[in-house]
Amino acid sequence: MAFEPKIVSFLCNWCSYTGADLAGTSRIKYAPNIRVIRVMCSGRVDPTFVIKSFREGADGVLICGCHPGDCHYHEGNYKCLRRYHLLKKFIKQMGIDEKRLQLEWVSASEGKRFAEVADSFTETIKKLGPCKAKSVAETLVR
Amino acid sequence: MSKKKLNMAVYWGAACGGCCVSVLDVHEKLLDVIAAADLVFWPIALDTKYKDVEAMADNHIDITLYNGAVRNSENEHLAKLLRKKSKILVAYGACAHLGGIPGLANFSNREDIFKRVYEESESTVNPEKIHPRPKVQVKEGELEIPEFYNDVMTLDQVVPVDYYMPGCPPQTDRLLEVFTAIVEGKELPPIGSVIGAGEKAQCEECPREKSENKTIKRFYRPWEIEDDGKTCLLEQGVICMGPATRTGCGVRCLNANQPCRGCYGPTIEAPDPGAKMMSAIATMIDSDDEAEIEKIIEQIVDISGTVYRFSLPASMLRRKIK
Amino acid sequence: MDEPRIGVYTCWCGSNIAKMVDVVKVAEDLKKHKGVVVSKDYKYMCSDPGQELIYNDIKEHQLNRIVVASCSPRIHELTFRKVLEKAGLNPYLFEMANIREQVSWVHTNREVATQKALDLIRAAIRRVYWHDALDKREVEINPASLIIGGGITGLSAALDIADSGHQVFLIEKTDTLGGKMKQLDLTYPYMNDAAGLLEPRIDRVKNHQRITVLTRTTLKEINGFIGNFEVTVNKKDGSEEEFTVGNIIVATGLKTFDPAVIEQYGYKKFPNVITSLEFEQKLQKGEDVLLEDGREPQNVAIIHCVGSRHSHYHEYCSRVCCQTGLKYANQIKANLPDSNVYNIYCDLRSFGKACEELYTTTSTRKSLFLQFEKEDYPIIEPSGQNLQVRVNESLSGEQVIVPADLVILLVGVEAQPDAKDLGRQVGVSLCGNDFYIEKHPKLDPVATTTDGVYIAGTCQGPKDINDSIAQAGAAAVRVLETIARRKVQVEVITAVVNEDLCCGCQTCVKVCPYSAVSFNEEKGVSEVNEALCKGCGTCGSTCPSGAIRSRHFTDQQIMSQIEGIMNEEVV
Repeated sequence: MAFEPKIVSFLCNWCSYTGADLAGTSRIKYAPNIRVIRVMCSGRVDPTFVIKSFREGADGVLICGCHPGDCHYHEGNYKCLRRYHLLKKFIKQMGIDEKRLQLEWVSASEGKRFAEVADSFTETIKKLGPCKAKSVAETLVR
Repeated sequence: MSKKKLNMAVYWGAACGGCCVSVLDVHEKLLDVIAAADLVFWPIALDTKYKDVEAMADNHIDITLYNGAVRNSENEHLAKLLRKKSKILVAYGACAHLGGIPGLANFSNREDIFKRVYEESESTVNPEKIHPRPKVQVKEGELEIPEFYNDVMTLDQVVPVDYYMPGCPPQTDRLLEVFTAIVEGKELPPIGSVIGAGEKAQCEECPREKSENKTIKRFYRPWEIEDDGKTCLLEQGVICMGPATRTGCGVRCLNANQPCRGCYGPTIEAPDPGAKMMSAIATMIDSDDEAEIEKIIEQIVDISGTVYRFSLPASMLRRKIK
Repeated sequence: MDEPRIGVYTCWCGSNIAKMVDVVKVAEDLKKHKGVVVSKDYKYMCSDPGQELIYNDIKEHQLNRIVVASCSPRIHELTFRKVLEKAGLNPYLFEMANIREQVSWVHTNREVATQKALDLIRAAIRRVYWHDALDKREVEINPASLIIGGGITGLSAALDIADSGHQVFLIEKTDTLGGKMKQLDLTYPYMNDAAGLLEPRIDRVKNHQRITVLTRTTLKEINGFIGNFEVTVNKKDGSEEEFTVGNIIVATGLKTFDPAVIEQYGYKKFPNVITSLEFEQKLQKGEDVLLEDGREPQNVAIIHCVGSRHSHYHEYCSRVCCQTGLKYANQIKANLPDSNVYNIYCDLRSFGKACEELYTTTSTRKSLFLQFEKEDYPIIEPSGQNLQVRVNESLSGEQVIVPADLVILLVGVEAQPDAKDLGRQVGVSLCGNDFYIEKHPKLDPVATTTDGVYIAGTCQGPKDINDSIAQAGAAAVRVLETIARRKVQVEVITAVVNEDLCCGCQTCVKVCPYSAVSFNEEKGVSEVNEALCKGCGTCGSTCPSGAIRSRHFTDQQIMSQIEGIMNEEVV
């Protein structure tokens, strides 16, 4: 059976979550592997959530926020950007392919783009295969 | 009628001995300690054997301070044995609490470690590439040594733990406070609590001046700055784990003008021992430009090792995937 | 915390969800979930009977948490929260799972979609367990309003509010009131004199006792929140003025497209190629329409879709140009009855009241209509001492060349160049074309995602005068609504510092874009001003001790969602 990844996605309420809703109202089809968690701002995304997602078995984590300069709360997306880059470095150090974490800017009017992002990220994760973080964390190897 | 003495045990797993020294550091108060407690098992200080412990009834020991991580079969065997024989089992020190410095081996694995130590290290001559094995036949019979585990574990990853006393090592004063409380029969905090440490982070007690200018344009290693001795180290670009680390040590590293390295572990609200500090560090980066952000992050030499220096086995991911 | 007694409701939404998600199976499966007392499916949860279902179950089964799996929370979260309130439960003990916009409408395999829906609802069930009751907070409304922009929209809104008895501050960045309408001669379709419509309005505004007009004044800074905005403006004499208002209407209008970038139109290259507004200027002078060298034009070409409906310029339709072109055709024929008028268009969009009639009338006045294919723009080239227009006429299939002494370019409508900066100051986002974005394109076209800030007129998108005035009235009513209520509810999803855990590192202080976090020197801890906090959660994810709690988006709640998504076993 082909590998179907499970991807946890954090979408900010004002831009990317609305954009994802727009993909829905426009009936644009995309890969069903994304599982969305709504936050008010991408600035709420704590690195702990990303690590927890991998720990619980996610094969990929996708964070979407407003385009730089357009954050509903002015600067939250920049904080997210800084944490994202440090997280990339971190997960690489922990043996998780850094391509498993992605940050994309999606605006409220970009329904089509959200679908494209969902599809392309799902493809990326499919190529990488399942993420071993959960099984490694759960198995104490003696 | 004299009060019944407590039975107390101290054991070291994968440890450096520092925690045992911290117990010895009670100095003259040792007399008070042995007036109140019988030390029934303490390999570093007393000639007690494993079989003595095995012979004890369950819960015979009132309190065991287990220090050191669990990284071989002997550590695990004693952890399980002492759990059985003890009423209260305390994970004493950073290694038992969070994995400690030995926990950094979780960035590697047994195969690579053995290769490095027994084959590649500079002064080793081992042409047959012999690695330690748990059993070997010699002419006198069969020899056994503990099995070296692939993963370093915290104490609570092998047995249920009643209390955690953090620190590398725990401050002796904290130990005396805890010990006195037990001896005096005071009500102990709920099972699973961290004791001998404050609830707040180091900044609460740190003597340096803090301001709201918590932005970093460049990260420095401690020796790369001309420390003015009074400004918060983070504000000078040096990563200090203070804001994410419990008090209890008496701010000893900061008092020596060195950044806190996090040995007292995270506060109660941190779901992971290092992730929140990682978030704070990233948030402090003083740039909104992607290329500049990446350049500044390159100056952080070892992010995972920095935030998980004492706590990698206790972290959410627990180890590097190898 | 009391034992959770969770009610889960999975909506069919007619067939919108049920077609792609097996809602019956989902509702059945979730009965086994830990903490779930009631799990039902229903055709339309948002309908009255749907809402009653929840209400009755809360009463009958003593439910203390509710999950509804249906459409996007951005549509009905408020609806269902009100049901909880009615039933005596705190409205925040509620969570929605979006299984329509983000599941049934976007996937094609029923089995897979159903599984995804289950994952998301389990996440919601786990999350709602950790929800806290949050108390409503109300603040007094300052009854004064700020209107930014003194064009027809701003003027109309100002009068609507001031006539109702409330103070208005109207700021306009240029010297005069009237905006673009001031540059018009006649309005379509009835050929009314624009000044006759506009000037009385301007007079009323200038003389109104409750309207303070500040021309050559721009916005410097706005702080605060609905009911209490602290506004600072830069006045014409260089000084600053501060005042407090409860609501803001943004009516900053439009800019016209600069056709110089379309080389083949020869704007500013050839004489007598002018824009629509430049033509209006000529008409306003009331004299004969003349060329630059004083001659009367014999042939006038009116080019439609200049800068609009083209992938290189703006993809959208500017809505007003076609009717304007027809207006000009009529005005030219009236002014110069012997002239030839060529309407060079792409698609003629003359909609709205009496506008189709305008089109018919224009065609009877013997003006020629020549159609070009979208993006196949005509070419304007010199011809002797005049010009000619070369069109690939699509109805005939032939290339047609018409003489043109005067070429009028119907330039498209654009957002103002400072729209982005102003938007940031007031808290309004822009959509792809830099127009301001409304809260909901169908249901809420004048509100924005920032409470107390409204948009009206062409700054929201191309439209004509009557629609602008309609929007001005709509925005004014919303403002008057909040003024009438005297109090308004403010954000409850704010951050709070746990003073028993805050060590005083101050990492959080500068992180807040609203300066809502400050350090209390005396207590040695940080504090959040809940009146300023907008609930973005950035400080919550910054605190290295975990001492800041982002209400309703706590670490525990979000992590439980992650667990719910990833763990298939029913707990």
